[in-house]
Amino acid sequence: MSNATLRSPNPWRSPSTNAPRKLGRLKRHESKWAYLFISPFFLMFLVFGLAPVAFSTYIAFFSWDPLGDTRFIGFDNFTNLFSDDRFWQATGNTFSIWALSTFPQMLLALLIASILRNPKLKAPIFWRTLLLIPNITSVLAVAIVFGQLFGRDFGMINVIIGAMGFPHIDFISNTLAGHIAIATMITWRWVGYNALIFLASMLAIPNELYESAELDGASRWQQFRYVTIPGLRNTITFVIIVGTIGGLQVFAEPLTLSGNFNGGDSRQFSTLTLFLFEQMFVEHKYGYAAAIGIAITIIVLIISLINFFLTRRIASEGNK
Amino acid sequence: MIKFSKTLKAVAAIAALSAGLGQFSAAQAASQTTITIWSFGNVIRPELVTEYEAAHPDINIVVKKSELDPHHNSLITAMLAKNTPDIAAVEVSYSGYFRSYPKYFTDLRTLGASDMQKDYLDWRWEQGVADNGSVIGIPTDVGGAAIAYRTDLFKAAGLPTDPAKVSALWPTWDAYTKVGQQYKAKTKKAFIDNSGTIFAAILNQGTQKYYDRSGGLIYSTNPQVKSAFNGASNALAAGIGSNISQFTSDWNVGMNKGTFATVIAPAWMLDYIKQQAPGTKGKWNIASLPGGGGNIGGSQLTIPVSAKHPQEAMDFIKWYLSPQMQLRVFKAYGLFPSTKSIYNDPAVANYTDPFFSNAPLGAIYTKGALALKPIFEGRQQRQIDNIFGQALSRIALKKQSAAAAWQQALSEIKKTVG
Repeated sequence: MSNATLRSPNPWRSPSTNAPRKLGRLKRHESKWAYLFISPFFLMFLVFGLAPVAFSTYIAFFSWDPLGDTRFIGFDNFTNLFSDDRFWQATGNTFSIWALSTFPQMLLALLIASILRNPKLKAPIFWRTLLLIPNITSVLAVAIVFGQLFGRDFGMINVIIGAMGFPHIDFISNTLAGHIAIATMITWRWVGYNALIFLASMLAIPNELYESAELDGASRWQQFRYVTIPGLRNTITFVIIVGTIGGLQVFAEPLTLSGNFNGGDSRQFSTLTLFLFEQMFVEHKYGYAAAIGIAITIIVLIISLINFFLTRRIASEGNK
Repeated sequence: MIKFSKTLKAVAAIAALSAGLGQFSAAQAASQTTITIWSFGNVIRPELVTEYEAAHPDINIVVKKSELDPHHNSLITAMLAKNTPDIAAVEVSYSGYFRSYPKYFTDLRTLGASDMQKDYLDWRWEQGVADNGSVIGIPTDVGGAAIAYRTDLFKAAGLPTDPAKVSALWPTWDAYTKVGQQYKAKTKKAFIDNSGTIFAAILNQGTQKYYDRSGGLIYSTNPQVKSAFNGASNALAAGIGSNISQFTSDWNVGMNKGTFATVIAPAWMLDYIKQQAPGTKGKWNIASLPGGGGNIGGSQLTIPVSAKHPQEAMDFIKWYLSPQMQLRVFKAYGLFPSTKSIYNDPAVANYTDPFFSNAPLGAIYTKGALALKPIFEGRQQRQIDNIFGQALSRIALKKQSAAAAWQQALSEIKKTVG
């Protein structure tokens, strides 16, 4: 059999020729009630969402000393930011932690999901519930417990490393080891959640596809590669985008591990959000902190666009 | 940022809501006045607060204690939101910052502070006077520094144990480091808990730190800063410290186990040692600080301008920091009084403590406090302290040479103060 037979037609994609579902249209006198009913969300969004964003953007153009004077300085905060190596270091740290947590996590989540997909598995609800427990645990509690595990002298991981005859690793002062420790915390927390999302989308893949693939003599791996993965394409995009947005906001884990807003003696744990917090609440530069916030937003936008175009290309290739 | 601002606003909303609820329940209770105090460390003693409440049935006191840095940062936010406590402690390293903003504090001269001034050490009083001359804080204790050392460990290492002879061992910090090397060579153990603490000790022996009196930045040119940095990095290079951070659980364990033989001890440190290492009673003694006296730490109690009960708050401060109370606190906890009017009191002058081998603590710390020159505390001193602290820990971890760490610290400070 050829791969082409497996690829097309594409039964889990609804044909685009389908007429869009007709929605019932509101009569004129009903519409004002509809606006009233949806207004709470928009009011809340205005007060707690839009207003702070607008205000942050505004103060980013000022030298804003919380207790002292505010002075309009135009784009100075941004030009300073671009020449501030602390900002670039924080960006580097953030992406390093993001990469170390996202990719192993994807593979692990896919693995767990394909194990849970097995219909012969006993007590599936129990396993699925178990997967969510790390996710509902307080992030601070996770960080504190992992901080203990990664301790330099008496942490369990180092005790094991020591017992195997290797020198202890200082997870606090060593940059790469520290990033791995933080990535481990994030992975532990989110892998179950992502596995469940993968699982839900795997279960939506029609069983007939697997059956026919099996009849055609496809191995387990080939089934995974040519049936499961294409079926999960949209889900993978979703998980990566959500993971990226979360990854750019990593805050509690590095803070707890370094115990300091400046991210350790060489700023090795200073992530973008930690840097923002430091500038705001330690150095009291509200304008500069706001500029960092805008920079984070722009970075998220750029990453999301890259994600979007990449996945669209992959998706169109898949449909050839 | 989006998410962050949301959280901030939500917190503000909840705070406003709970403040409203608080007023509601206060109106419900009998005519009791509630004074709120924000503080850190051991500045406010709960048992003394209870005593004050018992003597004043119409007063109810709520104390919120935080870590040093979060305490001051949330105070700034609270001042912005005009939702402050009635009394806020301000540590000297932050005093330079708050002194620049007198409009956020009640001028205590309007509540009778001028009559109190004569009781206090002049330089200590000055730390609570804002740039425009208004008095924003009343001084708590004085942290005149000395060296606390373990007589049993000194004896085992073949060093003298008598305070006068021990003090004679280290007229300078270089000499102190040399003694440390001898001790280490003999015992293979650490001499000082953390070599980084030498930085603050030397820095405080000068008259200026990172700022001159007009607020100009001198952190890169002041020889005192450089010699403090060199003193600490020499001690690091000599490897005489245990590199344990102070006030951590490892530090407490180390103190009990005798992991280190000396600790730089401002007067307030003695109580920490007593609390955390009760088993070492009688094994400590006190010698003078190398290179002369120096003050480390100390706080002021302030009344923010948006305090709800400034008069009642001031009544409490007058009682809590009065010479008589400071005398009691000194006897109970060893915090050295900032009220010079009681230094001649035999209870201070002749004070000894069996925990510290009956060393003449009163005489040592009185002499230190009176000899101190006022030191100017600048605006972003705490942040600069932290940057130098990080530079020293990079040296301790052998990530950088002393020269490279110094250069990096200077460039980081430039960005911070700029």
